Amino acid sequence: MATAANSPTESRYRLDQVDADADLMVLNFGPQHPSTHGVFRIKLILDGEIVIRAIPYAGYLHRGVEKLLEKLTYAQGVPIVDKNDYVSPMSNEQALVMAFEKLLKVEVPRRARYLRLIFSELQRIASHLLWLGTFALDMGGALGGGSTVFMYCFRDREGILDLFEAVTGGRFHYNTHTIGGNRHDIPLGWDKRVLAYLDMLEPRIAECESMTTNNSIFVARTQGIGLIDKDLAQGLGLSGPLLRASGVDHDLRRDAPYHAYDEVPVRVMVEQAGDCQARALVRVREMRESIRLVREALAGLPEGGINSGKIIKMPQQFKAQSGQVYAAIETPRGELGTFVIAGGGDKGTAPYRLKIRAPSLHALSALPWILPGHTISDVVVVLGSLDPIMGEVDR
Amino acid sequence: MGYLTDSLRALGTTLRNMRRPATTIPFPQQIREREERFRTSFALLHDENGEELCVACLACERICPSEVIKMKVAPKRESPFSGKRRGYLEDFTLDLTACIYCELCVQVCPTDAIVMTRVPEVPGFDREDLVLTMDKLYANEHAKPLTWATASKLNEMQEPPKVAKVEPAKTEPAKTEPAKSAPAKTEPAAAEPAKPAAVAEAVAQEAP
Ligand code: SF4
Ligand code: SF4
Repeated sequence: MATAANSPTESRYRLDQVDADADLMVLNFGPQHPSTHGVFRIKLILDGEIVIRAIPYAGYLHRGVEKLLEKLTYAQGVPIVDKNDYVSPMSNEQALVMAFEKLLKVEVPRRARYLRLIFSELQRIASHLLWLGTFALDMGGALGGGSTVFMYCFRDREGILDLFEAVTGGRFHYNTHTIGGNRHDIPLGWDKRVLAYLDMLEPRIAECESMTTNNSIFVARTQGIGLIDKDLAQGLGLSGPLLRASGVDHDLRRDAPYHAYDEVPVRVMVEQAGDCQARALVRVREMRESIRLVREALAGLPEGGINSGKIIKMPQQFKAQSGQVYAAIETPRGELGTFVIAGGGDKGTAPYRLKIRAPSLHALSALPWILPGHTISDVVVVLGSLDPIMGEVDR
Repeated sequence: MGYLTDSLRALGTTLRNMRRPATTIPFPQQIREREERFRTSFALLHDENGEELCVACLACERICPSEVIKMKVAPKRESPFSGKRRGYLEDFTLDLTACIYCELCVQVCPTDAIVMTRVPEVPGFDREDLVLTMDKLYANEHAKPLTWATASKLNEMQEPPKVAKVEPAKTEPAKTEPAKSAPAKTEPAAAEPAKPAAVAEAVAQEAP
């Protein structure tokens, strides 16, 4: 089995080492390819079936979100970022409102912080379930037709969307966070529904595990594939499950607690191997951990208001002094940060410049390092294990 | 090695799942019951006298992040019912093709005039069907089920509680508002699971 190179230039499959008469081929993988999880293109230079070089091209889904957020006021911005990482919209909203709250110096009531924690952990389960399903689908026929696990995961993920629908009225585009708190309180009896759902989900995760991470076919296809070592992971600025699968014990939820994570501590899941299997294991364990966190947070959910009195009435209601802030949260994909420069003065109602640090973009930057040496069929597996969401990469 | 046994085990899981109740429904014949807060299309409402609630204050047009609400304001005149001078709409369109269903227009309305509807399907056969004119919006008031959310309910839910409870031992840094953070030791009062119909009332009561 081919081991991954440490850098494109140190690759043992370097272009100049390939026989002069080797029959090289250029293959455009994507942008319209179901396995790229969106519109993403990799130019692969192949020697037979072996990848010699991989050059990723992003940008097919660029929508100018950052520019749009500079045009809209602070009050209007939140619903726009729902569309960035469309697999975990809650996390997007939270990253944005946290930056705005820091800038505008608004406190968030304790109940709202607990609710945000619950939403973000449920969203993590939903996102990882979708990832597990599509990852199994990427493996194709190896796993009992491939789409079996995919369907099971989607079925179980529906439950979370239903729960979010009951709170916010939306299934993807919630717009439930606002500067200074939340817009929707949970309906009566919602916590019971969540607990019942989690009780149902726990054995289902074990079931999915038996078909994926505990399945010898799955292990054979993921072990030793797409190796990212510790130095490479840190050097590329990877975060989230990718970083933790490479043996770096880092999680913003524990290291820089936000929401209510200081009161509901997180156990961080770390794996040492750094291959596709390690990334899968980290994500599956994180789902279990999220279940525990949601249960704990629901048990300790404080009474009280969900908003500190900054109810949105008109677009120009928030005025910021000039300044800069950065706020980051741990989304299912890693560190999602928002950097805001506020203009102040007449322009104080909208950000002067806003930059989103998307974890998926960093994940994709690992491709030229880890793909060389693998076969074409492994490209799909490696790409799937990085769990990139193109809406977030291109913004 | 264990390929065969693992494949058989996976087959066992599949068989177990075959005995579970189906999660899909035959869609056009059967339509899933939506949650009370589910939101899609829009409606404009009348008050009990049959007068339009909208006072053409432009608040919804200004807040809309997608700028899909366009209205023409009629000159102010006296209301035949209350006798007060108030604004009236001359024309109002809402372009659903670009609406992001953010519910902000509903939240800012001072008179609860604009609300969202609870129908899951809003497709049409041409583009015109997705542009809601004033007539369509007023017709939706009775033609479609409405969602729970109105401006006053949303505001009531977000309003910080008036009376601050005594701070428990675990204090927090000073807040802009009194921290009313008595941790809920007991389960919240709700005993029965949320039935869609009960949610609206329940939430209305829950908000202090
Ligand atoms: S829901 Fe949002 S985007 Fe749609 S009309 Fe209302 S404010 Fe505009
Ligand atoms: S906010 Fe309400 S009252 Fe004001 S223009 Fe819009 S619908 Fe009419």
